Amino acid sequence: MWSRALAGVLPGFFLAAALTGLVAWCAPGPWQSALVPSLIFFVPAWMLLLGGAFLFADGRRAWGWLSAAAALAFALLWALKTLDWVR
Amino acid sequence: MKISSAMLRTFNTVHTWVGLAAGFALFVAFYAGAITVFHHALPLWQSPHLQEGVQSLADAQRLLDGVLERHPEARTHMGMLFPGSELPHSIAYWQDASGVWQFATLDDLDGSPQRPSTELADLVNQLHYSLGLPIAGTYLMGLVSLLYGVALFSGLLIHWPKLTKDLFALRPGRNLKQFWQDAHNVIGVLSLPFHILFAVTGVVLCLVFVLASALDPLVFDGKLMAALPAALDTAPQKSAANISAPPGSLALWQARSIEAAHAQGIETFEPAYLKLANAGDANAVVEITGVSSRALGPQGSIALDAASGELLAVQLPGQRDVNHATLASAYALHFGEYGNGVVPWLYFLLGLGGAFLFYSGNLLWIESRRKRRQLQQSRTATNMARATVGLCIGFCVAVSAAFVAAQVFEAIAPGQIDAGIRRTCFASWALCMAWAAMRAPAQAARELLWLAAGVTAAVAIAHGLVSGEWFWSGAARGPRTASFVDVIAIAMSIAFAMLARATAYRMRHGDPNSVWANPAVRS
Repeated sequence: MWSRALAGVLPGFFLAAALTGLVAWCAPGPWQSALVPSLIFFVPAWMLLLGGAFLFADGRRAWGWLSAAAALAFALLWALKTLDWVR
Repeated sequence: MKISSAMLRTFNTVHTWVGLAAGFALFVAFYAGAITVFHHALPLWQSPHLQEGVQSLADAQRLLDGVLERHPEARTHMGMLFPGSELPHSIAYWQDASGVWQFATLDDLDGSPQRPSTELADLVNQLHYSLGLPIAGTYLMGLVSLLYGVALFSGLLIHWPKLTKDLFALRPGRNLKQFWQDAHNVIGVLSLPFHILFAVTGVVLCLVFVLASALDPLVFDGKLMAALPAALDTAPQKSAANISAPPGSLALWQARSIEAAHAQGIETFEPAYLKLANAGDANAVVEITGVSSRALGPQGSIALDAASGELLAVQLPGQRDVNHATLASAYALHFGEYGNGVVPWLYFLLGLGGAFLFYSGNLLWIESRRKRRQLQQSRTATNMARATVGLCIGFCVAVSAAFVAAQVFEAIAPGQIDAGIRRTCFASWALCMAWAAMRAPAQAARELLWLAAGVTAAVAIAHGLVSGEWFWSGAARGPRTASFVDVIAIAMSIAFAMLARATAYRMRHGDPNSVWANPAVRS
């Protein structure tokens, strides 16, 4: 129980943060022009991950999948920024 | 969607513990939030002299001139309410040399750290967003809102298999747990969109700067703080030119802002407040925020060059950028400040309904741990019942006691009103909790409900005695009058009395194997 809860709190936070980054940077125009909706988006995203972490059968899987997803999302965001495909 | 029974059990546990952890704070937030919906009426109710009429723009101009002349700090940056917007009189505010906000009126140009006439409204609002605790309270409520979101998610999942079948089921009868469960579910499901809204905007409002600082290095390359002013304000950031210029006037800014709104095709623009930067300087900028009708986010703003009234920037409904449109809508949705006069009432009922949701959640926790075949109930269930009664009903008593105290202090010691209502509120809350800790839960519930009925009725009586305006005379004058508060107080007093009677009935006639049975039967 606690292990899955913590998976939502820690890797869940980083996954929600990376998704927020993707929303902000992929939105039309510079990321600054979608700042407020992106910041608001972070909150329900993290909430869903905090609750959704319990959908995994055990803590190990929750940590594994959420961490992997967070790493992937950050990598995608970094690649998009580096290739200058988003601003 | 098929949910396995193991999954349902997991989410049941999550829902229970998250609900218990956040439920008490959310009861307070919703009960105080329901009253905060009518925050415009509270200053009128507290200070009868406010009803004498709306100040003129010339009075407000004298306030502005007086504040700028006396307080050099206000020249850098200050704000001001237009008369007749939130209050009938204008208030000017600025940060003094040590960063403390100061509030001045025409009667008190020196200013003080407490807004005049709004002590009661401010206390109820602070209880709503911080439980009345300094600084840490706001962060605590942000975390509580996060847990609230998790509770909504898990609650929806648990209820999902029966969602449509049981939506309109409210089954009174022998199985009381079923009845409470039905009531808890129906309120939860029917007001779910608003609960999601409050949970999300609650976190945003309480934790925005914490979240922004955490996300800044992660995804915004450390450039978030520099981007925030443009996203949140309308006026461009201009530093002082150190060349003095004519200061401009309220009448000029009001006329120019309304003119600018008309030019954008907006029919109504009622200036509500302004922000003035570098007053008296050649680079002075004024930002007027006003209310337009027929928009989800009715607040929009217009930035002007203070001296000439030249238009600098516009963020009005229909033609603002994504950041300003989202911000205005999120703000209006949280505070119920959109639509017509029905919306505040809807939010008031949603607030009370939310308070019921958390109270009934605790009742269900106690009920599912009830020992059905013996009079003696577990110590945990008894203590949980005591805590629920003492904290929740005690809070209703405490809020009403603060209202009564506001009238008493207004009559005998107007200078002490802020300290007086706070002490009354927290002392009466603590006394109710102590009382509930000493009594059997059922007795404590009945007695505290009668006390709540009495103190809430005293709200209307105290106001009548002190101001001489009784609820029957002023109620007909509409919702922005003091008597309107009295009418709600009387309705709530009757509701508390009915709940007290129902609790007493439950003690006498209900199942004796429960914490809610008459303890005399048990011995």
